[in-house]
Amino acid sequence: MYCMLRLSLALLLALACMGLAQAQAEGDASSFSLRGFGTLGVARSSSDHVEFVRDLSQPKGIRGGQWSGRIDSVLGVQANWQAAPELELVGQVVGRLRYDRSRDPELMWAFAKWEPDARISLRAGRIGADFMMLADSRLVGYSYLPVRPSSDFFGPLFFSHFDGADASLTVALGDALVRGKLFAGETREKTSGTPGIWDTSGSSLHGLVVDYLVGPWQFRANTARARFSHDINTAPLPALLREAGLALGVPEALAAADSLASAGKASRFFSLGVVYDEGPLQLQGMVNRIRHESGVFENSTAGYLLAGYRMGVATPYAGISWWRTRDRTYTTGLPNVPPLADLNLAYDQFMQASRVDQVTYTLGVRWDLWTNLALKLQWDAIRGSSASRFSFARSDAAWNGRTNVLSTTMDFVF
Amino acid sequence: MKGMRKMLLYACLMAWSAFASADLVLVANPKAGIDRLTQSDVVNIYLGRYRHLASGLTAEPIDIEGEADLKARFYRRLVGKSLAEINAYWARLVFSGKTQPPLAVVNTEEALQRVASRIGALAYLERGKVDRRVAIVFDLGE
Repeated sequence: MYCMLRLSLALLLALACMGLAQAQAEGDASSFSLRGFGTLGVARSSSDHVEFVRDLSQPKGIRGGQWSGRIDSVLGVQANWQAAPELELVGQVVGRLRYDRSRDPELMWAFAKWEPDARISLRAGRIGADFMMLADSRLVGYSYLPVRPSSDFFGPLFFSHFDGADASLTVALGDALVRGKLFAGETREKTSGTPGIWDTSGSSLHGLVVDYLVGPWQFRANTARARFSHDINTAPLPALLREAGLALGVPEALAAADSLASAGKASRFFSLGVVYDEGPLQLQGMVNRIRHESGVFENSTAGYLLAGYRMGVATPYAGISWWRTRDRTYTTGLPNVPPLADLNLAYDQFMQASRVDQVTYTLGVRWDLWTNLALKLQWDAIRGSSASRFSFARSDAAWNGRTNVLSTTMDFVF
Repeated sequence: MKGMRKMLLYACLMAWSAFASADLVLVANPKAGIDRLTQSDVVNIYLGRYRHLASGLTAEPIDIEGEADLKARFYRRLVGKSLAEINAYWARLVFSGKTQPPLAVVNTEEALQRVASRIGALAYLERGKVDRRVAIVFDLGE
């Protein structure tokens, strides 16, 4: 399966290169296009005790009032080749902060799209999962109003693409449109885990998206399921818990060891969203619910509301978002005496590492300086409990749940 | 006195034709089998949401980039959006590898030629520039 996908990706790239050569030879600019997007951004987060990150894939964030370009800066280029009236090939490469702290270019999309008519679209290759309502990519700052998609809502969705296929069908019902999309594939990404790096490549992903569009309104329902391929790095704790459980005859310790596994465990994602976009006014709202089979992640709910109103070239906006996980009861069943107390402590730390309970208030303004360049200034006030740590990178004991993030970006397309 | 009245009438006519030509209309190929389009049809076609025409054809919208504020006027009247907002809208779709934006041409004459030669093509232009090669399918008004 993997080899086949690799082969099809290589084939796509070769085709795209041939397309470029052909387009140049014929002087035909319309069948081939090369475009790009980027963000130059600096941000600072006031707290000394956590690192604010854009989403959980980022291994390092910003802290201590230091201005940094680390989390938001990105550059991408995309080639489209209309090989035939019904067939288009698309490739996109992006440089951004990755799980290993590098900014090595990453192949985001490489797919063939077949549209036998204007109602049906089939795509295969490396494609995006459109968890955001308005786009598959969450990295094109120019395309959305705030500096970044809500970290409370999109933070836990650390994967950007998958290798597989999607099929969408749009039907007209009077003045309204209904669009359904099915997608399935395997993720190829690694993410920053706590601790170390979590390899999620080979995890299966599938889901369904239904959109209803009428006039200025868009409504969406989305469900997705991922089954993880690898365990998060909890060694050697599970083996020690098993050993202690067997030696002392404590079945809860064996169950506790099993609860730390993520390989073969599924997570389910549900979301509902609405957009109202009429003239100068833009309103958006989404809610989600994430359910995990693995014990290392707490189930969560999140949501956001965002409103903007264009006044000439400036669009001020305000938003609120929240992310909460549900505490679970858990125990190793082992007596709290040395050396078992250390196992209990380590287990507690893992079980609490995925806890979040926070609200973010956002104010900002976007200036559209030219039709391909925008400047943004945004202030986020994060107010949470001191146990709210999963949403950040590296927290220490003095974290009190409050930080203010000031961000400014220049977003462009070319 | 009679000459005065004639001149006044002429001035009125001039003003009327200037007013009329500021009117924007959407035109299609006469053979496309499109009688009229509704506002939501035009929004769906130009924003790339749904380009399937009742006749089974795929609509091929055209943007005119090189004529003062023609494109800006069209989108302001159609959806009340600025060109920067329309660009941001297309950045979402294009960089998601979804629908392509309308084909860009330089001027009205190029748009007219394309509509006359491509059966699914659609273009907006000033009413005064409509000729027999094309048929009006939607009136954006003043």
